[in-house]
Amino acid sequence: MTPFKLQIITPEKTFFDGEVEQVIARTTVGDVGILKGHEPYCAALGVGQMRVMVNGEFRRAATSGGIIKVLKDRTTILVQTCEWAEDIDVTRANAAKEAAEARKKSAADDKELALAEAKLQRALNRIDTASFIK
Amino acid sequence: MKAIKRRIKSVGSTKQITKAMQLVASSKLRKAKVRAEQARPYFNELYRTMCEIASGKNIQTVFTEKREVKHKLFIVVAGDRGLAGGYNSNVLKMAAAAHKDDAEKPKIIAIGRKAVEYFAKRGYDMAASYANIAENIKPNTAQDIANIAVNMFTSGEVDEVDVFYTMFVSSMSQQPQSMSVLPMSTTELEDTVEMDYDPSPEAVFNRIVPRFTASLIQCAVVESYASEQGARRTAMENATDNADAMTESLSLLYNRARQASITTEIIDIVSGASAQG
Repeated sequence: MTPFKLQIITPEKTFFDGEVEQVIARTTVGDVGILKGHEPYCAALGVGQMRVMVNGEFRRAATSGGIIKVLKDRTTILVQTCEWAEDIDVTRANAAKEAAEARKKSAADDKELALAEAKLQRALNRIDTASFIK
Repeated sequence: MKAIKRRIKSVGSTKQITKAMQLVASSKLRKAKVRAEQARPYFNELYRTMCEIASGKNIQTVFTEKREVKHKLFIVVAGDRGLAGGYNSNVLKMAAAAHKDDAEKPKIIAIGRKAVEYFAKRGYDMAASYANIAENIKPNTAQDIANIAVNMFTSGEVDEVDVFYTMFVSSMSQQPQSMSVLPMSTTELEDTVEMDYDPSPEAVFNRIVPRFTASLIQCAVVESYASEQGARRTAMENATDNADAMTESLSLLYNRARQASITTEIIDIVSGASAQG
């Protein structure tokens, strides 16, 4: 497959910048796969997993929402957080999951409940992503 | 003479403290500058994408709609600690000045302990307060803050959201700034590509706005933090210089007093000896 240029940018840093053969990302309306020569495309990403093919092998990453933008010469993914599956600290993710569950139970109003729910989703996504390793 | 000696000693130990604070601030400043720079590409790219969507498509969503401004929300970013020259008071004064003609006090989201204290003491309606997050702000924290602001805006609780922060111009100069976040204004771009939006331009736009707000808050916080360190370093540098000048004039005073006392003693001895002889 012909490689194309991909950039993954988070608010903290440029997470990835290089040539890839394929990207599969979870948009708000379903998975989309991007290959070289895709027409200009833009969609919002939800909390979910992303797969990037480099040298014929897929790398998996957990992301928590953002957008994907495909242009003729490059593709840009802007996400809040992004972590390769192999870099995820499962113990920490589990702790975050439990903390979020506890907060969900003790939430006083809808605002807090929504915040806790979002935290829980992110933690579950990271645990799920990490489970594909090994 | 004893009193002067004590002063010299106390100025000396103060100098040691200010010197140490100056060094800490400059090393923190270096890190903060890097973080501020790294936060920018994300922000710029998001802003560009939003402008692209808005360009020529005449997007009408709840986020671009200008309402009659009855209630405002201010997000104010200040430091967690003092001793940073005018850093805290400049940005706080600016926020206070921005609403002095309004009939009603704005609602406040305060970031940084100094901002929290300032607005809480003056009886503002605090929508949320965050202390001690600036040094290590996580994107998810910024998103939480943004969600609060965005929800208040969409629910009609406030009609305008502004951010007050300190722009990092250089290590020597920091400028308090205000920025209007919502309603969203975008600039028209010249060269846009025809793009497919999934599911629709409006939907993507509405998804981006909270992200963009979060990114803006993140940028404002890291930028302010760099400014804080810069301001503190300058303030502490001045304090150290002042301490040096003070030690110098005090030791001059001390030496004069010492010489004077020696002279008096000699005169005493000489006059005593001559009286005997």
